[in-house]
Amino acid sequence: MSDFKIIFSGPVGVGKTTAIGSISDIEPVITDEKASDMTSAQKPGTTVAMDYGLIALGERERIHLYGTPGQQRFDFMWEILTQGGIGLILLVSNARPDPFSDMHFFLDAFKHFIAQTKVVIGVTQMDLSKQPRLEDYYLQLEDNGLKIPIFEVDARVKRDISLLVEALLYSIDPGLED
Amino acid sequence: MNSMKTRTQLAEPTHSPTRLAAIGMDQRQRNALRILFSSRCNKRYVLTEEASSEICILDLDSFGGEQKWKEFRDRHPEWPLILVSIKHHEIADRNTLFVQKPIPVERLIAAIETHRSNLPGSNIQDSQPAFDNPRINITKPMSGMDSTPTSRVVSTRRAASLMSASQEQTFVGTSPDIDPTDPEQLQNIYYNPAHYLQGLSQQALNQAVRYNQAISMDGPWPPITLDIESNKIWVAATERQLRPFCTLPDTTLEVELTPHAEGWSPPSNAKGYPLQAFIWQLALWASRGRLPEGTRIHQPIYIRRWPNFTRLVVTPHAMAIAALWAQQPRSLLDTASVLNIPQRYVFAFYSAAHAIQLVGETRRAVDTLIQPPAIERSTNRGLFGRLLDRLRGGKRER
Repeated sequence: MSDFKIIFSGPVGVGKTTAIGSISDIEPVITDEKASDMTSAQKPGTTVAMDYGLIALGERERIHLYGTPGQQRFDFMWEILTQGGIGLILLVSNARPDPFSDMHFFLDAFKHFIAQTKVVIGVTQMDLSKQPRLEDYYLQLEDNGLKIPIFEVDARVKRDISLLVEALLYSIDPGLED
Repeated sequence: MNSMKTRTQLAEPTHSPTRLAAIGMDQRQRNALRILFSSRCNKRYVLTEEASSEICILDLDSFGGEQKWKEFRDRHPEWPLILVSIKHHEIADRNTLFVQKPIPVERLIAAIETHRSNLPGSNIQDSQPAFDNPRINITKPMSGMDSTPTSRVVSTRRAASLMSASQEQTFVGTSPDIDPTDPEQLQNIYYNPAHYLQGLSQQALNQAVRYNQAISMDGPWPPITLDIESNKIWVAATERQLRPFCTLPDTTLEVELTPHAEGWSPPSNAKGYPLQAFIWQLALWASRGRLPEGTRIHQPIYIRRWPNFTRLVVTPHAMAIAALWAQQPRSLLDTASVLNIPQRYVFAFYSAAHAIQLVGETRRAVDTLIQPPAIERSTNRGLFGRLLDRLRGGKRER
């Protein structure tokens, strides 16, 4: 049995748990606990350990889907979770007060992992907040010269999350269909 | 990420690096050569000024390139020279070699090594032509410019598609690959967006943005209105009713763009489509695997940013093409060649992305200097392919 993993990360309440659930074969394992004061206003039961989902490819291969805890005080887990990962799916909520700051924070926090693999960004809750636009996210990343895929996503929609994963795979190997 | 290296790689130099000068090249081109020499040639060559060089490379496509060549030969009648140009040149000069751009790395190395073997005091052992040198691992040429449709076997593998066969025919067409050297075939790959509803919509959008008002496109089709305020196009018809007007040319001969006063609201029977997604789809319908007139098929294409694929019609191979162009500009033909896909998929994606201003032809000289490297094959390619099939096929829905 060969095991691989894809990491989902992002701030509290962006939809990591939901996104994993949209493509997982199994009901996601959710290890929610009571939120701290800092996050309770955003989401009553937030993920302080991690989420887990699974895609089984036949009998011999499994893709484990790990969602990192959104709270910064659990950042010691982020490095452990990313070890051996295929790549990072970063979710950012357009409805949070400063989504650019969130994006930069997580890109920086995972920079070593990203340097070894690839990252794609899904912007959630654009229906709740139209601004900033996707174009603005790209402008934020212009200075570093990276052309990271950034898509508008609804974490509940399988097609949206599937396309994010597809973009991650193609970013690693554009010739993968050959 | 582990990957199989398939690039040209030279052995460590056994003596001082060969000194080369670049003539008629801007700073970006020089930097590209520097990076090439240090990263893929094991510092066997070094870029220097003309006066201290042993071999010169001259870009004939630079401003006054032919004159620079003449002046160079006046200065140095016997000096080893490598001429590079997009256009093929026959050179009748034993001290001048020609390499066509974009330069395949192995051909540049072969030309340098050929000249180097004739330099005074050159080591005979080290001076074999590059192609015969067992220490040089040559990759196959990657350029689509050299390939003809009859000589290329296009991949028949298909990842599970988000698009049915009939949808694919609607959006990408069925045109076979063309031979780029055949002018007649070349004519068939172009269409003029201005003759379709696509072009009219783009014109209306420009006007709507400029005057910040809603614009109606009045013609033989059901009522269509572009509204900047809501960032939507409002259409009082279904896609099926609208499509015939988008796929036929010259339906826009008698049309009128009508601006609306502030406070316009869409009619109750109209459906709103996001502006970019609508124009993207109009471009696919109109192009059907063709290119906007004037597109140069040998010019490298850049992508400004990834399309927002989750809100667009995703044509087959679109994601692969976007990923490839995000890494490095490549020509349309080279893209089809390295991805081993029919040209129409590349043309369709380009037309749609061009309609919403996400892609374009590169203008910098450096982008046509060196041929892009082969795609680095991930060690997990097989796994990725299976995951892709799974995500698209959804065999095990929850």
